[in-house]
Amino acid sequence: MSAVVSPIRKPLITGNKTYHQITEDLISPTEKTPTKEWVLGFVLSVAVLTFGVFCIIWTIWVGIGSWNLNRTINWSWDITNFVWWIGIGHAGTLISAILLLFRQKWRTGVNRAAEAMTIFAVMCASLFPLIHMGRIWLAPFILPYPNTRGPVWPNFNSPLLWDVFAISTYLTVSLLFWYTGLVPDFATVRDRAKGFRKKIYNTLSFGWTGSAKHWQRWESLSLVLAGLSTPLVLSVHTIVSFDFATSVIPGWHTTIFPPYFVAGAIFSGFAMVLTLMIITRKLLHLEDYITIEHIESMNKVILLTGTIVGVAYLTELFISWYSGYVYEQFAFFNRALGPYWWSYFGMMFCNVVAPQFFWKKSWRRNITLTFFLSIVVNIGMWFERFVIIATTLARDYLPSSWSLYSPTWVEIGIYVGTFGLFFTCYLIFARVAPVVAVAEIKHILKTGGNQYVGENAKRAHHHGDHESDHH
Amino acid sequence: MKHKTDNIWIGQKDLVQDQEFLSTVDSEFNSDSSTLADATSSLSGNRRDFLKFLGFGLGAATIAAGCDIPVKKAIPYVIKPDEIVPGIANYYASSFVNGGDYCSILVKTREGRPIKIEGNALSPVTKGGTSARAQASVLSLYDTNRIKGPQVKDGARWKDTTWQEIDKMMVPTLSSNGIRIISHTNMSPTSKKAIAEFVAKYPNTKVVTYDPVSASALLDANQLNFGVRAVPSYHFDKASVIVSFNADFLGTWISPIEYAADFAKGRAINDVTKASMSRLIQVENHMSLTGSNADNRILVRPSEQGVAIAHLYNEIVGGGPSSDGLNDKAKKAISKVASELKSKQGSSLVVSASNNVSEQLMINAINNALGNYGTTLDISMPSYQRQGNDTDLKAFVDDVKSGSVDLLLVYGANPVYDTVYGKELGDTISKIKNKVSFATVMDETSALCDVIVPTHHYLESWGDVEVKKGQYSLIQPTISPLFNSRQAEESLLKWCGSSTVDMMSEQPYYEYLKDNWKNTMFGGQNGYATFQGFWDSALHDGIYSQNSASSVAYTSAPLSGGITKPSKSEIEISFFETVHLANGQYAGNPWLMEMPDPVARTSWDNYLAVPVSFDGFRNMVGFNDLVDGDVVEIQVGEKSMKVPVIQQFGQMPGTVSLALGYGRTEAGNTGSNVGQNVNDCITKGENGPQLYNTAVTVSGKVDKTKEFACVQYHHTIGVKGVDNKTGEVINADEAALVYFDYFTGATGFQGALTDRSVIYTSNVKDVAENAESLKHKREHAQHLNAQQIYGGFDDKYALGHHWGMHIDLNACVGCGACTIACMSENNVPVVGRKEVSRHHEMTWLRIDRYYYGDVNNPNTVYQPMMCQHCDNAPCENVCPVNATNHSAEGLNQMAYNRCIGTRYCANNCPYKVRRFNWLDYTKADLWPINQPTLRNESTPFMADNLTRMVLNPDVTVRSRGVIEKCSFCVQRIQEGKLTAKIEGRSLLDGDVKTACQTACPTNAITFGDFNDHEGTLNKKLESPLTYIALEEINVRSSVNYTMKVNNRDEALDA
Repeated sequence: MSAVVSPIRKPLITGNKTYHQITEDLISPTEKTPTKEWVLGFVLSVAVLTFGVFCIIWTIWVGIGSWNLNRTINWSWDITNFVWWIGIGHAGTLISAILLLFRQKWRTGVNRAAEAMTIFAVMCASLFPLIHMGRIWLAPFILPYPNTRGPVWPNFNSPLLWDVFAISTYLTVSLLFWYTGLVPDFATVRDRAKGFRKKIYNTLSFGWTGSAKHWQRWESLSLVLAGLSTPLVLSVHTIVSFDFATSVIPGWHTTIFPPYFVAGAIFSGFAMVLTLMIITRKLLHLEDYITIEHIESMNKVILLTGTIVGVAYLTELFISWYSGYVYEQFAFFNRALGPYWWSYFGMMFCNVVAPQFFWKKSWRRNITLTFFLSIVVNIGMWFERFVIIATTLARDYLPSSWSLYSPTWVEIGIYVGTFGLFFTCYLIFARVAPVVAVAEIKHILKTGGNQYVGENAKRAHHHGDHESDHH
Repeated sequence: MKHKTDNIWIGQKDLVQDQEFLSTVDSEFNSDSSTLADATSSLSGNRRDFLKFLGFGLGAATIAAGCDIPVKKAIPYVIKPDEIVPGIANYYASSFVNGGDYCSILVKTREGRPIKIEGNALSPVTKGGTSARAQASVLSLYDTNRIKGPQVKDGARWKDTTWQEIDKMMVPTLSSNGIRIISHTNMSPTSKKAIAEFVAKYPNTKVVTYDPVSASALLDANQLNFGVRAVPSYHFDKASVIVSFNADFLGTWISPIEYAADFAKGRAINDVTKASMSRLIQVENHMSLTGSNADNRILVRPSEQGVAIAHLYNEIVGGGPSSDGLNDKAKKAISKVASELKSKQGSSLVVSASNNVSEQLMINAINNALGNYGTTLDISMPSYQRQGNDTDLKAFVDDVKSGSVDLLLVYGANPVYDTVYGKELGDTISKIKNKVSFATVMDETSALCDVIVPTHHYLESWGDVEVKKGQYSLIQPTISPLFNSRQAEESLLKWCGSSTVDMMSEQPYYEYLKDNWKNTMFGGQNGYATFQGFWDSALHDGIYSQNSASSVAYTSAPLSGGITKPSKSEIEISFFETVHLANGQYAGNPWLMEMPDPVARTSWDNYLAVPVSFDGFRNMVGFNDLVDGDVVEIQVGEKSMKVPVIQQFGQMPGTVSLALGYGRTEAGNTGSNVGQNVNDCITKGENGPQLYNTAVTVSGKVDKTKEFACVQYHHTIGVKGVDNKTGEVINADEAALVYFDYFTGATGFQGALTDRSVIYTSNVKDVAENAESLKHKREHAQHLNAQQIYGGFDDKYALGHHWGMHIDLNACVGCGACTIACMSENNVPVVGRKEVSRHHEMTWLRIDRYYYGDVNNPNTVYQPMMCQHCDNAPCENVCPVNATNHSAEGLNQMAYNRCIGTRYCANNCPYKVRRFNWLDYTKADLWPINQPTLRNESTPFMADNLTRMVLNPDVTVRSRGVIEKCSFCVQRIQEGKLTAKIEGRSLLDGDVKTACQTACPTNAITFGDFNDHEGTLNKKLESPLTYIALEEINVRSSVNYTMKVNNRDEALDA
């Protein structure tokens, strides 16, 4: 990892930082009393989460009949939300694993938060397959374990079972990866802490001492986990897409789904990372660590994946026409022109048209536009899943069974509740752990080699002046 | 061991500190532990542990057991009745009768409970067919609203009383001047005898008979022409051209089970190269069940029915009343029909539901002129299924108004609701001093009576029926009366002090019935030497036929009164009887209330059928721009009401229609206040009610119904209309599916709704050609399926049984008997209006109804749709827990206990036949709080122990959160296999019949074994019209359909 020192390379961290400053900047948020914004956000999140929990209890108590699903549309918001959250949960591992393997050093600025986001998103996602069951209390039936019922094993042909394995593996590996990264940082927190707090962080850091052996093992483990996670990034959403692709329903039964879903997942995941990063860097004053360069890089990924998704949409349309099969043709006709035309339109606009703004460099580097478009992309990706799931089911083979769907307050409540869960977790995370990987970012401090001289130094000073003007 | 310091001692030796005792106490564990260790060295537990475990185990078991649903009542027989073997069903022949509705049936009883109605194949009238009404009648036995015993009115409240009190109370009232017995059609000779005895004793008695939907004019016309006041026997199978003026003979008119079976015979296509079938031409304004099965529909306004008949009369007989006022299109079409009829002398049939005597006389004259008497209709064997007399009813109402009636006995009738005089009768009935009702459940009339002396439900009764001249059938009880009821005839006989019956016997009416049969029917036969032999045989068969046909000659009669005058009003409303509720007689039955109307596919309300037309571009435009579920205000005569709307294809422009039978106020929890009562909107004609009204206004949309309970949102499969830009005929259906065109002007793409491999249709002219094209399509699909990467499935089921089904779409008339039979057989829950409106209906078997052809006057196809038991089932491989899987006999099975409710199977079912228990419909949850009610009843429907008596013990009741679906009546398959095994033989073709199959009046459904090469199923599959819905997706469905063939004459459309 010997960095090439070159004045040509742009620095990855701005602001003329020293190692100590980095520690100060990144660890101090865990040490201060929470800000007003944090408290407000936390109260709000917990309130929303509480309502979500109430809606889930209501669902389990009353039955799935408290949702507006029907004999034709047996999945809608539940699985839409599931796929959406799983998609969002893709960026973290991609950033930490694939970008690690590709030696994309800028990733260290955002990987910690992105990984945390992944874990929380996967938590939100895995809620839905559980609560959408008619009899959640029998959920253990889905697990393959020796039992006294024969034994009866789960159906290994079912994509839903593959989901169970895919998601649980993904969650486990992501969690391990995230925690591995946190160990040296927890040690740093511990070293600065006193009393009981010190004890807690000592436990959390597994007694990390920072010895060379520790670092060597830590690096090896990171690489192993990165190697393990890399195929997972591709497999999880591939398997989620099998829920649809292996079915017999026109509009679901397509071979394009795995790459299309993975691209879409990265697309939405990066958008969500951007949304969160832009807020976090502002609130925690991390502009020097999460820089415009980061935003621009991620916008490039969004532009690429958004365009891949767009190509996939057009391919789908072409193939449906080219198939010469009426049901297939009708499925896409119905998506675009049927009763849910607005969701198809929303999907096309948000996912394909909106990211095209990022062809222009200055727009890629515009924080306001990026923030706005990152939200637009996530709305678009939600629409995409709704189009695939509800619109497709609403009108399939037999016209007699066509139906329509709109959610009940319970379904909306559960969806909103997952935001509560997500932000509650994220806010706690931002309080107890450094949101930027301290140990890792220190590696790249001197990558550019010109932090102390030249333009960057000037700009940093300028930036500093600017900051001090405010205070 | 330590010496005790407290004062606790065990025994006297302990108290005195006996050393020997203390040493044994000390050594107790030591000595034991050494021996124990030897014996069970691997166990570390001791006595205390054992007790702990025992305690824990008991406690855990108690807690676990406490969580389970306790078995409440399971009482073994002390003395087992001979004929009852637990787990084995007994069948008793009986007859379903309700007024003029008749069906010869077998009642399936389990452990002494009637649980299912089957058709009686021995009956020459119904021939083993049933109707939805007959199927559902078993539920009315267990109606929680049944009157539990004799009651008298005490002020505004009902008070229980005893039969002795009642009988004592009746004595003085019987000597009064004006006694009336009012009833619907009564087909029972023995009941009539009992009434006759009563009338003989009290000569001031008059018997008033009416029908809720009157056929009085038809009877009167036959009285004038033939001297027989009855309905002729129609033979729809022998007619090659059938013209029906508004007679819904396949759904509701007189004897639909019989007519549907005959009609289907005339529609069968045995050889596609020489295909021929009868042609049905329906003249009507509202799409009735019969109209939907018709080849051609001639649209006339309700008030034009008279002139339409007159026009045909003039064309065929001549010299009739003027047909002025008939719309030109209909006039032309009827002229063409007339020439076709004339060419089919003796093999045509004209029927009418008109309630105008002159019009019915014209119909008789037309049939006579065509030489149809003796061939397609037969008055020598008249049917007694309608006996009502409108004149008598009118006179009765006048008598009530004038106060000349002192005692009213209401016997199986509800005149306050189901007559056109309902309102005035309700207002004036209080003038009658004594009003006695024999009702089994409370109704509008009984509520206004003073005394209710409940009669038995027919499944608890003895009785007989003379459905046609010489065609008798018996009613026998299949359960002892559930409540303190007494047969109405027994009451009458008791009150008139009959000497012909022994009132002290255990079942007086049974003795009376037997005596009557001994004296009448027994004498007319020579098959049996003893009466007992004759009786046992008749009771066993349920029927007894006597050849007593006598030829009757036609004598022409002058047209006695005017015919219906065409109205000039802008809009007319017609009223129609529904298959499921009749004129409200069945409104209290939840199965029938929830049964979707076969044509409109709506339930739990009467929806105003409004015409709909294609705008030539994008939309199906309803009358007044109304769309499904809009609420309008409608003014009929003086009555104003708000009703929801359904766009009805085939509804004549300028007319709207509303169903009878709704808006009852006293019909128990299910039937009360559902929809609007339109009986008081019916035109009171000169000599009887006419089911339409011309004084009607319909507002625009005033509201939107919250619960639009319609089970089918998309009604058409490729209807064609004219594009108003190009003038070309386009697929109107497809164009109307465009909701938004992104400003491209897209009008849909052609084909996706006509080429769906779900329904195949053909005109009878083109059937050979279409059969050929179907063959190519099927070959193509099978070729595609052969390309699969997985091994075939066919050899998998080559041994043993491989169950399959064949459904003949040409035979299916859509009556819905099978759907109710399925609910009854398989314990399918009723979910209520709200749940139906959310598309949560639970029906395992539904009948999809599609319109095709001309958008303005379409043809219809009915497709019974249930689980197709695919041999490559998409539902099975997606279930994560293997809850749905395939049997070795090709059945797609559900293991309810295993189901966790992911609903993936339901999504992946191409036929959308899987049903999810969204809520606790069957009340099987541990807690009662989430049990949905049908209509806010205190004990939810299906939670009530009385209602639950109807459940089939062979079929699991499903709990909330699991998927269910058609099982091909696996319990019947199992029963058939076991019977064969016990009898030491192999299973024969026809041993196993599904509930839908046995219910069907037209034998449209055939269940069987694909591996039985000689079986009926395989015979049916040989037809080149056979197809599999969605064959090309390789799910390998086990249900085969046949192409729907119509005999539409395009010339009539011009």
